[in-house]
Amino acid sequence: MSEIRRLIRPVPILLALVIFVAVPLGLAQFGKGYFFQIANLVLIFALLAASLHLVAGVAGLLHLGHAAFYGIGAYVAALLGTELKLGFLWGLPAGGLAAAVLALIVALPTMRLVSIYFAVATLAIGQMIHTVLLNWVSLTKGPNGVLLFSGIKLFGWAAKTPVAIYFVVAVVVAASIFAIHRLGHSYYGNALRSLREDDQCADAMGIDTVRLKIEVFTLSAFFAGIAGALWAYTTGYVSPTDFNFSNSILVLAMVVVGGLGSLPGAIIGAFLLILLPEVLRGFGDVRNVLVGLVMFFSILFLPKGLFGEVSALTFVRRHFGRSQNRVPGGEVGW
Amino acid sequence: MSALIEIDHLTRRFGGLLAVDDVSTAVAPGELVGLIGPNGAGKTTLFNLISGFTPPTSGTVRFKGEAIRGLKPHQIAGRGLSRTFQNLRIFPNMSVFDNVSVGAVGAMGQSALGAVFGGRRRSDAITARTFEALERVGLTAQAHELAANLSYGRRKYLEIARALAMKPDLLILDEPAAGLDDSETAELARFIRTLNGEGLAIMLVEHDMNLVMGICSRVVVLASGRKIADAAPAEVRADPAVLEAYLGVEA
Repeated sequence: MSEIRRLIRPVPILLALVIFVAVPLGLAQFGKGYFFQIANLVLIFALLAASLHLVAGVAGLLHLGHAAFYGIGAYVAALLGTELKLGFLWGLPAGGLAAAVLALIVALPTMRLVSIYFAVATLAIGQMIHTVLLNWVSLTKGPNGVLLFSGIKLFGWAAKTPVAIYFVVAVVVAASIFAIHRLGHSYYGNALRSLREDDQCADAMGIDTVRLKIEVFTLSAFFAGIAGALWAYTTGYVSPTDFNFSNSILVLAMVVVGGLGSLPGAIIGAFLLILLPEVLRGFGDVRNVLVGLVMFFSILFLPKGLFGEVSALTFVRRHFGRSQNRVPGGEVGW
Repeated sequence: MSALIEIDHLTRRFGGLLAVDDVSTAVAPGELVGLIGPNGAGKTTLFNLISGFTPPTSGTVRFKGEAIRGLKPHQIAGRGLSRTFQNLRIFPNMSVFDNVSVGAVGAMGQSALGAVFGGRRRSDAITARTFEALERVGLTAQAHELAANLSYGRRKYLEIARALAMKPDLLILDEPAAGLDDSETAELARFIRTLNGEGLAIMLVEHDMNLVMGICSRVVVLASGRKIADAAPAEVRADPAVLEAYLGVEA
């Protein structure tokens, strides 16, 4: 393990150089706000994909409502800013914590569900949160969304230029992804992987499987909430459509294309699926079909994604299969 | 000598079937006990009752003097009872090292906060224990290989190493020799004896009569969920009830 670690040491340093030096320098040359917005979007979705990677890729839980927790973070940050005049330094952690608390509450009854039943429950939770954001007009302004004008201020310093905003986003995303990396590449991460591989067996090894599932679901929602707060502050506008089911699926697709169980995979998946539609803009509406084809063929020819630990097909098969094959009462063998 | 585990009038009913019917026995610290019986005798069910995977219909199990009925499998495992499975259950998409580390984490624990913010001392202890268990079964050289790439025989040892990483007081092996050839079975028998020689109490379910009779100090025989014998191998071999259960003849 130490050998592998030594080999990948240069990678994070290189990545940091790209994110904190090359990209801002390059974008500053173009000087267009639009490119910075794309860069922020890529970073925010990289964090979203990384947080979902923890639940879906590492712990092996098919989570279909991730965008809703992203939305909670965005709305909490935006509403704290507009209603209570609390700035970025409050909104960012509050967005993460609110998403985590909500995730904890819904996880308590849900985490005992297995396989496909769990997936359907997370789908329902995502839809419920989306519906509440859409219809609680007195608080969320419903479909009109919330405008947040305050901008990012840190201890008296205001991030006014696109480069400054980009740096704030980059620092928060890099710190969060580093934390997710530590969670995944630790013995805690191995315990999470054992849930994905065989949760009954993990139970026999002294792993409290239900508690661990609740923890990872909550942690993942925390980082999704952080991503949401970043979204609210970079775009200055949140509306329910940004947090609907198709966004949950988009993030899941990033994780699967990059490879289930691989953090670099999830991040590269986010880069691909955000940048590809932008690059293909010249093709007009056909570009969405092209993106779809890229995803389709990547699953067909790279079932483990780019760097995955688990084949997506095995993953799905296990989720749909186990609900039928499970012995009543959960007995192990005979 | 007080018993490590006491099984007292344990019964499990599945619908109309009594899978385990009023079984009582005990294992002392350091003992190596075999559990045999024809197919469907309830051996695995008894193991599942002990390790908490199946709740008993009635009866009690005491482990180190504490009643463990109603505890979840991970709680029982945490008290020092470790098991392997009949159909070889490893974590195929994880490395050999990572597989075994799960046993060590299960016993020693690592929190999410500990994973993010240091906790070096704890994780070094888990690493050391994992390598110790790998060394024990001779899998150190393959530590970084994917578990799925190991041969069938090696996977058996991987599963045992994972159980040993928990540093259990009682190890339950469910048909460890199934699918092994004669020389592999002999090697496994020597290994089990060595483990037992170091003071680890072992319960062994096995179809291979020679293995059980050769290494166990005491043999419990189940037939149709009932205990029909509980004695030294030589006595069990001569027991008319056992012969009848196995061969279906009146002795």
